Amino acid sequence: MNTIAEQVAPIAAASEVKVETPFRRFCTAFLDSKVATTALIVLGILIFMALFAPLISPTNPYDLAVVSILDSKMPPGTKSLDGVTFLLGTDGAGRDLVSAMIYGLRISLGVGVMSGIFAMAIGATVGLIAAYFGGRTENIIMRIVDIQLSFPAILVALILLAILGKGVDKITIALIIVQWAYYARTVRGSALVERNKEYIEAATCLAIGHRRILFRHLLPNCLPPLIVVGTIQTAHAISLEATLSFLGVGLPVSEPSLGLLISNGFDYMLSGKYWISFFPGIALLITIVSINLVGDQLRDVLNPRLDR
Amino acid sequence: MQIRKTLVLAAAAAAVSFAPQAYAQTLTIGLGTEPTSIDPHYHNLGPNNQIAQHFFSRLIEQDHKQNLSPGLATSWKATDDTTWEFKLRKGVKFHDGSDFNADDVLFSMHRGGNHPNAKSSFGLYTKGKTFTKVDDYTVRVTTAKPYPLMPVDLSSVHIVSDQEKDKWEGEYNNGKSAHGTGPYKLVKWVKGEVLEMVRYDGYHGAKPHWKRVVIKPINSAPSRLAALLSGDVDFIDQVPTVDIARLKKNAKVELSQGVSNRIIYLHMDQYRDNPQYMKSHDGKPLTKNPMKDVRVRKAISMAISRDLIVDRVMEGVAIPAGQLLPEGFFGRSSKLMVQKYDPEGAKKLLAEAGYPNGFQATLHGPNNRYINDAKIVEAIAQMLTRIGIKTTPDTMPKSVFFKRGKNKGPAKPAEWNFQLVGWGSSTGEPSSPLRSLLGTYDKTKGWGSSNRGLHSNPVMDKILDEALATVDDTKRAALLAKATEIGVGEDQGIVPLHYQVNTWAGKKGLTFKARTDERTVAYDVVPN
Repeated sequence: MNTIAEQVAPIAAASEVKVETPFRRFCTAFLDSKVATTALIVLGILIFMALFAPLISPTNPYDLAVVSILDSKMPPGTKSLDGVTFLLGTDGAGRDLVSAMIYGLRISLGVGVMSGIFAMAIGATVGLIAAYFGGRTENIIMRIVDIQLSFPAILVALILLAILGKGVDKITIALIIVQWAYYARTVRGSALVERNKEYIEAATCLAIGHRRILFRHLLPNCLPPLIVVGTIQTAHAISLEATLSFLGVGLPVSEPSLGLLISNGFDYMLSGKYWISFFPGIALLITIVSINLVGDQLRDVLNPRLDR
Repeated sequence: MQIRKTLVLAAAAAAVSFAPQAYAQTLTIGLGTEPTSIDPHYHNLGPNNQIAQHFFSRLIEQDHKQNLSPGLATSWKATDDTTWEFKLRKGVKFHDGSDFNADDVLFSMHRGGNHPNAKSSFGLYTKGKTFTKVDDYTVRVTTAKPYPLMPVDLSSVHIVSDQEKDKWEGEYNNGKSAHGTGPYKLVKWVKGEVLEMVRYDGYHGAKPHWKRVVIKPINSAPSRLAALLSGDVDFIDQVPTVDIARLKKNAKVELSQGVSNRIIYLHMDQYRDNPQYMKSHDGKPLTKNPMKDVRVRKAISMAISRDLIVDRVMEGVAIPAGQLLPEGFFGRSSKLMVQKYDPEGAKKLLAEAGYPNGFQATLHGPNNRYINDAKIVEAIAQMLTRIGIKTTPDTMPKSVFFKRGKNKGPAKPAEWNFQLVGWGSSTGEPSSPLRSLLGTYDKTKGWGSSNRGLHSNPVMDKILDEALATVDDTKRAALLAKATEIGVGEDQGIVPLHYQVNTWAGKKGLTFKARTDERTVAYDVVPN
């Protein structure tokens, strides 16, 4: 025999589920894919490791007073003279690879995300202005974007770094400069569509200021494609940073990112000391693939045309 | 019938076994660094000189140990204290068929020191000498002071034809004017891809074995080695040190190894009062330059374990250095030893000099010029950090590094305060590094051109001046040794690290005499 309360409870619960905020709908749709969910979890772990690197990592690979050339090129599992076990071995300078990879991940992710955010801010603003004002403003801005996009990103970055020199800040600046144009073009595309819609007309008729229309009305409606491009571009920035580091420009040798670790280990590839390049390579692969998978799923979920 | 069959088989077998010999007319070399030009007077640089040597001859040649032997000059002698006379070889023809005579020598010596586009000039060897033509096959050279290094100096300048007036590196690079009297003729050069040459049958010296030589520039060391192992090339230079131990066990590969005249060392800024790449231990600007203090320079030398660098970074393939040239070379000091590793003593010296907490510095170095250069910079940064000199290693490609690290005298000193470089003594004795690295900067004398720390000691300068004008070999050797003891020993004007040991690798059956001047010379590669 069921009491009334027992009968009511499931109904209440069911009705609670049915209350669908856009965010919840988004989450459900996103978590629909097992692959994307796994990628998101992996990415979460990687970000956590990068954020708390000093607490997690066994040694500080940047402290030259601790790193010793005596420990260089040790195979995975070797014990050092101080009794530390090098789980994944050491690199050519004697850094513990596990620590070097965690710190390297921190640099790679940090550079990727920071340059992504700044490039997005600059690109979105410029793109919105171009789409909203049109005419000569748009022409000038979009031709600059065209010129920028016609040069390979790697080439522009190489030239910039040759001028700027080495350092995390310098490589971030270089990556912002090569990336903003992608965001500008994306935002302009969707803003052009939005601009002609009634709500913008209404806002214009109400004589609301340009800035308010741009950032409070136009921007939120251009966000979905921006988020997707942002995720993909971040992965792109990370691999570009790795490429630049591999080529020996960008980051100082004493503070290697994943790309620089791979580059350092490349010298030893033929000599059977595979681990110096191999493990950082795998770490870079996992990072980029997981970001890309998350980005792909975001695109599917945020694209109204693919609405299931 | 049976006999005939056997004969055919035997012939076939013979054909097969002789086939490699017939095919082995071409040598393919994987070269680590390609030249910047074919023009032999454009850039005084190892990679250029090693290629120039194939197309052009010199008055006096240097063998693999840098011993002098007759080249385009058959004999030479000092007729008095300040005059030298060179007898030239008769019947030598340039690749274009024109005759070689004294005019070509005069033209080449002038061109070598006055090339308008030269990246680094050969004036070092030709300036201060007056060349006169006595007859078609005799050249007289006079100097203001006695100059015993005359033959050595002239063995560094290649002879080109005086038919090629007003032709510069462009015409040489495309082959139009690249006519020398050397053992090979240039076929074509496509920068970054291939350099091809054929044997010159009119060569005046010993006939080289290879009819055709193809040189492929392969920058990356692992790729170069892979090209050899896969059979794409027959011979490579600059074998990566990490792979040497494994290659020694490989039956298909033959290695040649030899110590070079190149020393790897550190320059320290001894000129600036406010060095831009140095700070106090807590990151504040310095009020004075610590490297001006000889105790600090000595502490740096003591803090570096050369044995550890040789063992762990160079895989045992290098020789710890205590002076400018390795054992066996003329003018070495018998007193200077390799500095012992003494971190405690180094800390004490630093404290005495007024830096008990050390200071901060940046050590700059190239990452694609010398064997394992970037790794050495990193290892030294570790060692110096341990005695309190917090060192940041900063390495970059050689094109950027050398441009900014070049010394142009007190008016425009090297940008780096503390840098790792190398010096190969082309003359095979210490006067060249003493003049260039430690001599007080003097443009007219040609001294101190690579004195990147602007070290200066008038006492050493005086002894060196005296040595350069001393004709007697024993006396000159003693004076050079004395100058080295002051410059490198007492003053620690530079910190010597090690002498490079070079390794070449070829397919089994090819031998190569390792050269002290580090050059890869195709006609020195011979089948055994």
